[in-house]
Amino acid sequence: MPPRRQPVRQAHNQNAPLDPEVIAKRTKRHLDELERSNYSEPAGTGGGGEEDDEDGVAPSGRTTKGRARQATISDKRQWDGKKPKKSTMNVRTAILYKKNLAVLIEESGIEHLPPGVPTYLRAVVSPPREPPRMLCSVCGYWGKYKCRRCAMPYCDMNCEGVHNETRCERRVI
Amino acid sequence: MSDSSVVILDNGASTIKAGVLGMHDDHPLTIPNAVVRSKGDNATYIGHELAKCRDFTSLRFRLPFEKGFLVDWDAQKAIWDGIFSSEVLGVNTSQASLLITEPYFNLPNIQDVYDQFVFEEYEFQAYRRCTPASLVPYGQLLAKPGLPPPECLLVIDSGFSFTHVVPILNGTVVWSAVKRIDVGGKLLTNHLKEVISFRQWNLMEETHIVNEVKEACCFVSEDFGRDLEACRVRPGDNPIVQEYIFPDYSANRPGRIRRPGEPLDASCQTLIMNNERFTVPEILFHPTDIGLDQAGISAAVAESISLLPEDLQGMFWANIGLIGGNTALPGFRQRLISELRSLAPIDTEVIVYSSEDPASEAYRSAVAFAARPEFPQMVVTREEYQEMGSNACRRKFGDWKPMDKEPARGRDQAKSRAHEGEMHIEKEDIPLATKKGARGRGRGRGSARRQT
Repeated sequence: MPPRRQPVRQAHNQNAPLDPEVIAKRTKRHLDELERSNYSEPAGTGGGGEEDDEDGVAPSGRTTKGRARQATISDKRQWDGKKPKKSTMNVRTAILYKKNLAVLIEESGIEHLPPGVPTYLRAVVSPPREPPRMLCSVCGYWGKYKCRRCAMPYCDMNCEGVHNETRCERRVI
Repeated sequence: MSDSSVVILDNGASTIKAGVLGMHDDHPLTIPNAVVRSKGDNATYIGHELAKCRDFTSLRFRLPFEKGFLVDWDAQKAIWDGIFSSEVLGVNTSQASLLITEPYFNLPNIQDVYDQFVFEEYEFQAYRRCTPASLVPYGQLLAKPGLPPPECLLVIDSGFSFTHVVPILNGTVVWSAVKRIDVGGKLLTNHLKEVISFRQWNLMEETHIVNEVKEACCFVSEDFGRDLEACRVRPGDNPIVQEYIFPDYSANRPGRIRRPGEPLDASCQTLIMNNERFTVPEILFHPTDIGLDQAGISAAVAESISLLPEDLQGMFWANIGLIGGNTALPGFRQRLISELRSLAPIDTEVIVYSSEDPASEAYRSAVAFAARPEFPQMVVTREEYQEMGSNACRRKFGDWKPMDKEPARGRDQAKSRAHEGEMHIEKEDIPLATKKGARGRGRGRGSARRQT
């Protein structure tokens, strides 16, 4: 693996700083990753489906996105030996058709409420007044320098070496 | 109704604090709000069953909550079923009332599903749904002996999914001044996991273990710059560095911090926690450290208070209460006070109240609320729901949403509900164009409904 990647990086390293937009995208993707329930692999790396903690996986292995879930977990256990009661249509619908938060926000219509109404979308705190401080992305100490290509901060030559080898451009973990 | 029991659920995204009024008043049962798969045990544990788990390596979590909102009702029902069963609370839900918490700014379409589950599935006699902070005025957190609860108070609720600053005036949440930071315990754990995996051991699969490391080792620094320098010193002269001994589930040995100078068993593996101990919780105060363009907790408090009536602002500065698991981090309160002190007007008093167990503080406040004589008037009963549907709840649990437009719709719905059997209600009261939405395939169902 490593030998094949080498020449590409070399070519980039010369003088191709990353687009600020790409950096913003990278940061956003990273923040989304930090919200995942079973965050184990960075999304870009192709391994471990991003959705696997979002949707139930049917016994057959395929995800059940967008259609009624075949196997529900809430029917699996019967405590107290009670027979499961017949659920109403509303409850059944909620159990079988899971929607993710983005869809629910869209459907709730809170975006279209008049400007004065406080909502989830408007309650977020303002950006801070002071500029972000720089912490070394390798060791956590103050990061005095920024990588010229990917803008990640580091503190000294030692950490710079580690950064270039592992994290530059793509995130290794 | 008077002799029935009251079930209290502080339905957190990470743990549910559950109990029955009069039985678990001081210490709720803490139930993981997750369906957990353990590879080592080759078993799936639902909620309270996690107590039976022996091997906590590489647990996979299925959480009913996504970014703080309840989205996976299948998982949530499985966990609630377990809690109501004789294995935990042992209540007959159709003979009981319920007090349950919901997230701040809960979406109206999600709230409807809460109502449906409570009345149609569990058939509670009556229930009240409210946010955790709104219960705090009833509790002991800011209580001063011999005095009524303060008229103005500000609750900081820093939980698993996010952190909210919630001002409360005369017992009512001032929604226009509520502020949110998208940093919670889940993000902190995931970040710590990432940092450790990059620097030392690959623990990316070990959310549960890293969470225990976080709870054991992390603290909020009082002087970030000073502590960062202290961490550069080699171990031995470094007051911050700690060694965490990993758990060994085959030997039934939990993880713990190594005492200084303690001899180490050859089989033990350890993790060095140096500046990770405080740079991780630091994100609560500086979200920009991970590139999140939001102000920290202290600035959020100042922003929230600046939106309140000017003559009352001083009272809010002097009545700040902390709830939620993150506020239990050692040093959290001191750091907050020192930052708030520099943000508050010079002649204002800044007082921050904390409790010994902030994660269950909302539960204890809920107990006090449910025990009050006026509680029976604050609930929606099953009869009211059968008559008016979710409108009954919308009207009574008045929260962040504007209340106009609602009454007209309520009347229409009540009419149709009165004529229909339970199973047909949903079909009849939704305008024709959005009928498909009830099946979950249609787009824009909620928005169409809200605009009518």
